Amino acid sequence: MTCIRQTSPEAGFTLIELLAALGIFLLITGAAFSLLTSSQQRYQTDSQLLTSFQEARLGLDQMVRDINDAGYPPPSFVSTDVTTFTRSPFGWSPGYTVPTPCTVDITCNPPGDFDLIIETNPNPQDGGPVQWIRYQLGGPNGTTLLRGMAPKQWGHDPAIDTATNLGTFVENVVNNSPNLQIGQFQLSATSAGAVVFPSGNPVPIFQYTCDTPITAQPPPTLCSAAGADNSPANIRDVAITLIVASPLPDATTGQPRLVKLTARGRRVNPNQ
Amino acid sequence: MTTTTKSRARQTQGGIALLISIFILLLISVVAIALIVSSGTESALAGNYRSSTGVYYAAMSGLEEVRSRLWPKDPNAFSITDPGFLPSATPLPACSPVYVINHLDSETVTPWIAGSTYADNEFGPEFLTTGCSMPSSPPTARSIWRRSPLRNLSFPGPLYKWVRINGVTERSLNLDAYPYDGTINNGLVYYDGVRLNDQTNGSQVLELTALAVLPNGSQKLLQYLVASTTLNLVFPAAMTLDGYSDAYSGPNHNFFQISGNQDSGDSACGGPSMPYPVPAVGVPDNPDINYVINGNPGPGSTGIPGGQLGNYTGTGSTPSVVRVNLPPNLQTVQSLNQLVQTIVQNADTVIGGPADQTSIPSAMSSSNPMTVVIQGNPAIPSQGNLTLSGGFTGYGLLLVTGTFLYTPDLNWNGIILVIGQGNVGTTSGGGGGSVNGAILIAQIRDSSGNLLAGPNPGRATFNDATTSTVGRGYYYNCSWIQAAQPAAGYKVLSFHEIAQ
Repeated sequence: MTCIRQTSPEAGFTLIELLAALGIFLLITGAAFSLLTSSQQRYQTDSQLLTSFQEARLGLDQMVRDINDAGYPPPSFVSTDVTTFTRSPFGWSPGYTVPTPCTVDITCNPPGDFDLIIETNPNPQDGGPVQWIRYQLGGPNGTTLLRGMAPKQWGHDPAIDTATNLGTFVENVVNNSPNLQIGQFQLSATSAGAVVFPSGNPVPIFQYTCDTPITAQPPPTLCSAAGADNSPANIRDVAITLIVASPLPDATTGQPRLVKLTARGRRVNPNQ
Repeated sequence: MTTTTKSRARQTQGGIALLISIFILLLISVVAIALIVSSGTESALAGNYRSSTGVYYAAMSGLEEVRSRLWPKDPNAFSITDPGFLPSATPLPACSPVYVINHLDSETVTPWIAGSTYADNEFGPEFLTTGCSMPSSPPTARSIWRRSPLRNLSFPGPLYKWVRINGVTERSLNLDAYPYDGTINNGLVYYDGVRLNDQTNGSQVLELTALAVLPNGSQKLLQYLVASTTLNLVFPAAMTLDGYSDAYSGPNHNFFQISGNQDSGDSACGGPSMPYPVPAVGVPDNPDINYVINGNPGPGSTGIPGGQLGNYTGTGSTPSVVRVNLPPNLQTVQSLNQLVQTIVQNADTVIGGPADQTSIPSAMSSSNPMTVVIQGNPAIPSQGNLTLSGGFTGYGLLLVTGTFLYTPDLNWNGIILVIGQGNVGTTSGGGGGSVNGAILIAQIRDSSGNLLAGPNPGRATFNDATTSTVGRGYYYNCSWIQAAQPAAGYKVLSFHEIAQ
């Protein structure tokens, strides 16, 4: 009997114990779910940003590859068929059909801050003609980087031929957004400690350096400073800057999230 | 009995605690995994970009190494490190590729073996359709990273695996090179300085293909076409006055001659492109023939003294002053200016003047002809002036962009180009020297250093009529002309990345 009295209180829990245990359990699970929810929100935001980042990075790689290959085959591969070699590493408009030399970003566009036409043969072993490959910022809101190709044809303007073949390449590219939106981007970027849009101005996607063959082997200079040599045929480097926004604002702060990617393509082929 | 009851109670409590612990651990794990996946994706993306860029430059380093080592002046030239690796006197066939191998210590790189780790899968699509087959054991050479002293470095060199060198044909390029006969055949392709051709004009076009592979599997295949670009200067006369309304004043002495005839013992210049004899003096138009012989009253030149007409021998009647067809790179102000720049870029030394014989490198010798340029700021003509005196003897190519003065005891074996002010004269000193090779005089800049509008060059001036002493003159010598041709290395004719 003595043994039964001693063991009886240990057979269950008092109400106080149960309530305390339940409270602790709820606290822990509540905290865990709260953390999980916030993590899910951040994961969704980050996923979107990473998707944008990934698309932009892949796009950037493709652009660099095309620019590196610009001007293939060069003019020394001259033959009777003008579609089998390039006249210039980069096409231009207007005045290409004549052809009339132009000044980059001044008397011709493309090449320009948001528009570029590369002249190359991306798959020479296939025996196909040289292609015009165009990158242009456009789309409904002016935030889609478009890419299109058209076969080079004698007497044709590359800008006209490629215009009908442009398709979506990278979305949410905000380099040339309206000033009001740039201000909003700037605020969120500045709070994160970065200046994405210097002076609050649009950021060119393409910036060019030109060879200056009039003097002996100088380093390439900005095409605007290259004077008489500032023509698409003399473009050597193309610095690319892509500013991509995530499709939705940050779930916790409500601010747009931006990724700024930079790369440089260098034309290796000679232009003569 | 007591023991049994206690045991049951403990078991019940322990089970609940375990379940709660596992549940909480599960929740925390889900959150942790989500965070890890998120950051892991970001790392992977950044890493992919780094790999892509790294492998590109690894392959480029292979191409650039081989392009440089093809040039005999490179300290690691194949002709020095691996004699016999490349044929020296005959072109490299398309069907006989050679490989530069850059393997790590732990691996074997045999690209010619199909199915091997780093097999050359590009050769087949390019050449097997032309009737070629991959040799079972092609010649190989080690990269500079596998040779002393670089192989002793504590870090690996660029991670390219191999570079293939081979000739190319119209068919492998899928191109109808000049002449445009409408057929794409298996003849080797050459580069004449302007365009590709299949007529053996110029130097052979070589194809360099590099494969780079990183440890993470990223790989790239890049390809160059390159060709040797010795300047291959062609001189149509012993002395070429490459200008209009020229001013020539020759010395009135029998000792002085200009000869376009073959020098005794000079047998290297009998090729079809420039058979002996050549004119003694070549000019680009007919009026200048008269100016050279009879003088030009405009600048006050005296021409060839009447008693010395017989000392100008070569093509045509005596005196041999002939209108010549100049090669394209010698015709216009622009092309001559381009030629100057090209020579400057490939010169052994560029000296800012005014300069004299003490500025000329002492390493110059008959076995080591050098390319020497006298040029400072092109806009300041005096910085291109040169005066040679004291019986100086030089070998190679001399380019003077200002005024060139010399005492008649000068001996020069090779090429003298006076392109810029286009002004040559003698100054008092000894006599008896001679120029064996060729001289070309062209004015492409005015006295202020500004480039002439062109297209024709200005007045070329030669004055050897004022000094009391006299040299032996100018003697066309093709051996020295060839020896003095500046080697400009291997030029990149094209580049592209091969999609894999």
